[in-house]
Amino acid sequence: MSTPTTPCPDLEVLFAQLTEGQGPALEHSKTCVACSAVLEEHRELEKDLFRLQDPFPPANFVPQVMARVAAAPVPASVELKTGFAILGGALALAFVILVARGATAGQLGISVAHWVVESRAILVGLVRGIAMAWKTASVPLAGSLAFLLALSLVGLKKLAGTDVPAKV
Amino acid sequence: MTHAIASIFKLKLPGFGMMLMSEAAELPWKADVLAARRGDRSAFEALVRSVQRPVYGLCLRLLANEAEASEVAQEAFLRAFQNLSRYDAERPFDLWVLAIARNLCLDILRRRSRLQTQDVDDMKDALPSGAPTQEEGAIAHQERRSLEAAVGTLPADDREVLALYYVQKRTTKQIAEVMGVAPGTIMARLFRAREKLRKQMAPAQNQLLAGEAP
Repeated sequence: MSTPTTPCPDLEVLFAQLTEGQGPALEHSKTCVACSAVLEEHRELEKDLFRLQDPFPPANFVPQVMARVAAAPVPASVELKTGFAILGGALALAFVILVARGATAGQLGISVAHWVVESRAILVGLVRGIAMAWKTASVPLAGSLAFLLALSLVGLKKLAGTDVPAKV
Repeated sequence: MTHAIASIFKLKLPGFGMMLMSEAAELPWKADVLAARRGDRSAFEALVRSVQRPVYGLCLRLLANEAEASEVAQEAFLRAFQNLSRYDAERPFDLWVLAIARNLCLDILRRRSRLQTQDVDDMKDALPSGAPTQEEGAIAHQERRSLEAAVGTLPADDREVLALYYVQKRTTKQIAEVMGVAPGTIMARLFRAREKLRKQMAPAQNQLLAGEAP
């Protein structure tokens, strides 16, 4: 091994070129005693590092994990699915009962029609009431509505922040 | 079910059957994940058993404390269980849990606010080297201890990349996935970590040689 004419390269450059398999720094290292020694030390270190192994977890590790899993609350998604399943089942049952008993369906139709007619009058009265209130006290009304909106948004934000997802 | 389908197609369409078989080999956790999602606790237990060692190992190397490592690894598995519905079963399960565990460890390290001053004394005996054969030549016990000690003095991100690459034999792509960085940066990180380790080891090796000298 002869003494190279170029100065020793930055080690990071040398290793980058070692990964690529070519480059002037790599060419330099072939003739440089100092660089070859560093490369050799790295090779030896790698050999030793490859011999290291992960430790075994404690003997009761898996039972402890499973105990925590058993004690953990049911995930929201599972609760939601169960809720929808119950709701769907109940609606389906109600529909079946209505179809099976024609008289019940007819009675329900009459009740709905009554409700629609009556609710129309209630709705008209409500709209008129709001319009009157707006005419007489628009500023307090707008302020109250804005306050309610802000309060709802804050509440929603807090609710969204309670179930922190696992960072992946 | 998959096995049944595979066996049918293996008889009639060997190519397709082989494809299903190889898919099952590549995604060994998939059936257990699907079962665990349906609420099968024993399937989740099987998943925990299959990846507990690398997850605990990474936690121990990052936290340098057995009790804390065990606690964090358990928490990682719990979070994995609670978020199974979000997990993409096409991705390796072990890498997903490792990423969760890593994030939990980094949170703790941030809280500790002393990334580079870990106490490695407790770790020396807890971290074993591979069972060496006479043919391949064992590294001496003291050498192994000094190597573990030197690794323990490195910053957490260096310990992490060394543990994943050399100890767990992960590919740079897998490491990048766990760490959430570009795969191209891993080799440079590895080199820097190894260079720090080399410098760290140099005085220790000199001491060792001086001790051996008559």
